This record gives sequence, C-alpha cells and structure tokens, in this order.
Amino acid sequence: MILFFLTSGLFLGWSLGANDASNVFGSAVGSRMISFRKAAVVASLFVILGAVIQGAGTSGTLGKLGAVNALGGSFTVALAAAVTVYMMTKFSMPVSTTQAIVGAIIGWNLFTGNPTDTATLSTIVGTWISGPVLGAIFAILLYMLIVRIKRRLRIHMILFESYIKTGLLIAGAFASYSLGANNIANVMGVFVPAFRLDDLDLGIFTLSSAQQLFLLGGLAIAAGILTYSKKVMETVGSNIVNLTSEAALVVVLAQSLVLFIFSSSALSGFMVKLGLPPIPMVPVSSSQVIVGCVIGIGLYKGARNINFRLLGQIAIGWISTPLMAGLLSFFSLFFIKNIFNIDTGHKIISGAAEGTLNTGTEARPWNISEVMKYIILAAIITGIIAAVYYYLLERKRQRELRKSEEWFWKNIK
Amino acid sequence: MALFTRNTKNTIVKIDEFFDNIDLGILVFREGIRSYISGDTGSFQMHLHKVDQLESNADKLQREVENEMITHSILPQHREDVTRLIEEMDEIIDGIKSSMYEFDIEIPEIPSVLKENLISLTEVSANAAEELIPAARAYFRAPHTVREKLVKVYYFESETDKIAFRIKKRIFHEMDDIDLARKAHLRYIIHHIEKISDLAQTAADMLSAMAIKTAI
Repeated sequence: MILFFLTSGLFLGWSLGANDASNVFGSAVGSRMISFRKAAVVASLFVILGAVIQGAGTSGTLGKLGAVNALGGSFTVALAAAVTVYMMTKFSMPVSTTQAIVGAIIGWNLFTGNPTDTATLSTIVGTWISGPVLGAIFAILLYMLIVRIKRRLRIHMILFESYIKTGLLIAGAFASYSLGANNIANVMGVFVPAFRLDDLDLGIFTLSSAQQLFLLGGLAIAAGILTYSKKVMETVGSNIVNLTSEAALVVVLAQSLVLFIFSSSALSGFMVKLGLPPIPMVPVSSSQVIVGCVIGIGLYKGARNINFRLLGQIAIGWISTPLMAGLLSFFSLFFIKNIFNIDTGHKIISGAAEGTLNTGTEARPWNISEVMKYIILAAIITGIIAAVYYYLLERKRQRELRKSEEWFWKNIK
Repeated sequence: MALFTRNTKNTIVKIDEFFDNIDLGILVFREGIRSYISGDTGSFQMHLHKVDQLESNADKLQREVENEMITHSILPQHREDVTRLIEEMDEIIDGIKSSMYEFDIEIPEIPSVLKENLISLTEVSANAAEELIPAARAYFRAPHTVREKLVKVYYFESETDKIAFRIKKRIFHEMDDIDLARKAHLRYIIHHIEKISDLAQTAADMLSAMAIKTAI
C-alpha cells in the first residue's frame, strides 16, 4: 500500500521526463544532430545523478510551503498535479509541473487548515518571472560570445557544427543534471516529509531517505525520457529547429545555468559569503525558461515578430495551472479522506511537527526499507545492463554502417 | 568522438578538393578554347582530356560528400543547401565539358575577325565562374563576406552577355560573306561559351540566398 502511494509521484515523474527532456535535447534531436538514443541515455543518466546529488535544496523550499505529513495526502497532491499537467497538455496549453505542484500543495494547506508560508510562496512566484528573464539574459550574453568567437576564428562551418554537436551533448548532460536537481522536488518533494526510510548503504556511498526517494523519482523521469519523449522531442524540436545550431546550444546552456542556479545550495552559500542575498532554491519551469532564452536571442537579433500570444499564454498559466491543481487537490483530498477513509494529513502544531508525522512506516520501518533497497538495487543493475546493451548496439550499428559504405564504394567503382 | 572529428575533417577536405576541381576545370576551359581558336589541336585535345578527368573526379567527390553528410549526420541544418550548391557547381564543370566536346565534335570554323572577340568572351565567361569559387569557399568560413564576393560574378556575367550580344549582332548584321547555316552554328557556339557564366550566376543566386539564411 505504501508503495502504491508513490505511484502518483512516479506518474508525475514519468510525465515530466516525457515532456521536459524535449527542452534539453529537443533542438538537437529534432535537427538530427544527436540521435534520440544517445540523447535519451545521456539525459536519463544525468537526470538521476542531478536528482540524487543535488535534489535536496528545492525539495526543502516546497517543504516550507507545505509539509504534507501523511502518505495519503502526498499521493493525492502529486496525483492532482499530474492530472493538471496531463489535462493542460491535452488541451495544448503551456504547462509547468512546478506551478501544478505548488497549487496542489496550497490546496492541501487549505484542506488541512495549515497556513501557507507567504514568504516562501512569493519567493517561488518570483522565480516564475525571474527564471525566464534570467534565461533571456544568459542567452543574450552566451549568444554574443559564441557569435564573436565564430566570426573571429573563422572556423569551417562543418567543423564548427561538429563542435556544436559535441557542445550540445555536454550542455545537454549539464541541463539534464540541472533538470533532475531542480525538478525532482516537483516529483518527490511532497513525499519527503511523509516518508521515512533507513539509510541505504551501497558500499561506495550511502543514500539517505530523501535520496532514495529522489533516486526512484529520477528513475521515473528516466523512464519517461526513454519511453515517451521521442515523439515530444521530434515535435518540440522541429519548432525550435528554426534556430541556428549555435542558438540551440545557447538555449540549452542558458536553460541549464538557470536551473542550476536555482538548485545549487553551494552557490547560494557562496553568495551569502560574499555578503549578497542567498539564491532561493526553487523548482523552476524548464519550458518557461527555454521560452525566455529563445525570446532573448530573438531580441538580440532584433526580431520584431515576438510571439506575444505565447507570452500571454504563459502568464495565464501562472494563474490557471496552480488554481486548477489547487482546486483539484482540495476536492480530491476531500474524497480520499471521506470516502476511502485514508489519512491525508493534519494541521501541524508548531514545535511538534516532527512528532506528528504519520508516515505509516514507523511500525515496520525495516520492511519498506528492505523493499526499497531491492527496488533500487534492481534498478541499478537494470541500468547497467541497459547501458552495456546500448553500447553493444551502437557498436553494431557503426560496424554495419562502415560495412555498407565500403560495399557501396567498392561496387560503384 | 575522434571518429566523428575524422569524418568531419574528411568531408571538409573533400569539399575543398571539389572546389579545386571546378577551379582547375575553369582554367582548363579558358586555355582549351584559346588553343582551339588559335588552331592548336594537340593542346586542345590535351585540355579536353584533362577536363574529362576533372569532371569525373568532381562527380565522384560530389557523391562522396553527399553520402558522408547523410551517413555521419554532418551539417544537418544546412545539408540540403550545401548539397544543392555542390550540384549547381558541378553543373559548371559539366557545362565546361559539354562545351569543349561541342568544339571537338562540330569543329566550328571561326572567322579570323571573330577570334579575338571569342577569346575575350571565353575570358569573361570563365572569370564569372572563377569568381564564384572564393565566394563558395567563404560560405563555409565567413558567410557574411559571401555577398560582397558575389558582386564580381554578377559583373562578369553581365559583361559576358554584352560581349555575346555584340558578337552575335556583328555576325548577323555585318558578316555577309558567310552563309546563314554557319552564322547559326557560330551563334550556337557563342551560346555554349556564354552558358558557363549563366551557370555561375544560377549558383551565385543560390549561394547568396544561403548566405543570408546562415547570417540570420
């Protein structure tokens, strides 16, 4: 039953992987600069790494907004967010998982009578605007730099394109890492306060309770990337493909920088050391940041045909997505609690928050931890087998390609 | 990644080799026609043989470049344009070859009063094609300089038209000593020489559009 509660978060992770991986590798795959298989493997691996290594920062912020303290509540909140994302995507409206989860958490706060931390909320809402703006600024600066380097060095177009290709792969890996680090909170953040697991010692490193959840969430995102993102990448990619290859690289780099900045605790600490205000650790929407980056490049190039309709839709999304997710979360919690009689959480009494957590795992902590251990080990082994299989498949493809080329030229002569 | 860079460098070398072939073909065309007009048949045959080799080599390089660009996913965004540019430039050397073969097969008799005119027509027509090569090379390294290089192609093409027009007018208006069939034959030969600059202009138009697209 406990694992069942996680399914809504895993579903949200799957849909995030299917949708948001296109922001990272869409332009590269859409323009056939990088094969989907290579992109999917790199993105999956780095999303998981980002989630496990650096996912804690943004999850903490969501926890401050509303520490969902029962698994039934976490399940419903994640489900409400997932359904909102699904519905908005179905009606072709630009949607952000971040905004959906924020709305759903506020719905839970209202339902359980917990106050919503307005300071945290305003920080989060602030980043919805500052994220795309920062993306635009980074994109302009990086684009200026790349164009100048290209002009000054007079690199052959084909060689330059091959550097861009390599750059896209590296930037894509960085962007995937940042996406995992920044957006894992949307997927698993609501489960962190309600889920307590024993630390998992894997010999080389130990995974904390939250990290185990992030690993599971990361695997769900990876599953979304591997199973469903191809179509999205090719569709979204063909929309971005009108950008030049250097612009595509700039967009990916700028996006990854923004996501990284909003999820790096180390960078935030460094800012504090310099006497500057700390950077808020907030999950931001990669789709909206990418729109900011594209607009930034458009502005630099002096484009007059900026799609204000798209900007308007994004602004509407800032209100409609959290509102829809909030309402859905509120009413779903009502049904789950009153019809299925499942604990969806309760009001947190100040100073006794830890003690009031109802995880449902305290009675048999070893049990669920053991299960998690086997799930994670199985996932790691499957990942290694898949990586070896992919490597062998790539080698076979290369060998066949070389053979067919040799055959062609032998016969044409 | 090393394999990937090797493929890229191979393709660059092949594209450069292709342009070298076209460049040499234009030189040989100029010298070949001059040899024919001055009556040096041996030299003309040697140039004809050379053009034949260059054209076949250019065809092979064109196929190899197209093949490599597809199989190794080189320049996916500009692949179609580059392929078309190479095709258009291959048309030039094809045109050169067919022109020289026309001379070899039909053995046109050039009136001595027109010899200088035809040599200068060949010069200017070849110049138009020759000026296209640096512009095409620049497309790959400095696309923003392509258009300024193409100005010379358009200039020489228009000069070719003017010279061809003058020669044709002279043939049909002033040279009453030759019969109409020979006049028509000469017009046909002039058209063949003039065609090289027209092909260069077609490629230049395309290159110009490609340069704008890359610069945006």
